[in-house]
Amino acid sequence: MTEPTREMDTVQRLHVMAAGVRGARVAERILPAPFEEVWEAMAALDFLPDLQRVWVLRTDGDRIEALARSRYGFRAHLRGFRRPGWCWLQSRFLIVGLAAAPAPGGTGTRIALTGGVRIPTRAAVVPFGTLRELTSAGDRLATRLER
Amino acid sequence: MTGERRDRGVALARAARAGDTLALHELLDHLGPYVSRVCTPIALADGPDAVQETLLVVFRQLRSLKDPQALYGWVRAVAVREAVRIARRASRARPAELADVPAGGDPQLATDIDDVLARLSPEHRAVLVLRDVEGLDEQSAAALLRIPAGTAKSRLHRARTSFRKAWSA
Repeated sequence: MTEPTREMDTVQRLHVMAAGVRGARVAERILPAPFEEVWEAMAALDFLPDLQRVWVLRTDGDRIEALARSRYGFRAHLRGFRRPGWCWLQSRFLIVGLAAAPAPGGTGTRIALTGGVRIPTRAAVVPFGTLRELTSAGDRLATRLER
Repeated sequence: MTGERRDRGVALARAARAGDTLALHELLDHLGPYVSRVCTPIALADGPDAVQETLLVVFRQLRSLKDPQALYGWVRAVAVREAVRIARRASRARPAELADVPAGGDPQLATDIDDVLARLSPEHRAVLVLRDVEGLDEQSAAALLRIPAGTAKSRLHRARTSFRKAWSA
């Protein structure tokens, strides 16, 4: 029988993950920069709403544990997975999902963001304003890459 | 699939339903290859779209799955339905013309198998996958496809005949 010829890319995977998180929205856009450059900026995570600084505490294969501090002084202990073009993290109060993949046609990078303030212990985010915040985060990332 | 792997999937589904998105993440890694194995022979070139559509439905509805033990049967049913739907939508369905079946011993046999598959309708491919890849009996395959057992049987006969011709011609 025929073997799979093409896997889902990371952006498609992010849509699937978001489907499993109640209230989650996905902000998607294409940035006119190469994948490597875009992913380097995304992986720093500090363009996301409320995340001022992020310290990676430890990694083990694709597993990652990080400490984040918000602009308002809150701290979040994030655990999850990081792979090229992919990052999924959760803490008690946050869910963060990032994806990047070369855009079709080979020009630019398609990115997608999801997550938000987590309803504690649940696969759900507070639905209000989520898409607006994610879209703003995409704007911030685009501005940084233009510099 | 081994019992151990199956148990792992069920445990991940339980943890994901309880709200752990890291378990949800692992469940995606776990189910992806299985869904691909069901969808790709049915949806062919549209396999990746069928895989994504299947996983979107599965993740959206995971909360409403009454018994996590039924995970694989449920995922398989969604995968077959989505693969047939996507393949039909793409208008790739062309019934097999047995005269067009490639000759045996052809060095391009792997491609020829794909050609034979492509000439079957998505519904015929679905029966073939359920019976010969997933090992379901006719009754179960028919129930999953929501067709009478006789229809499943005739589709399977036609699909197998096409393949037999491909090897013996």
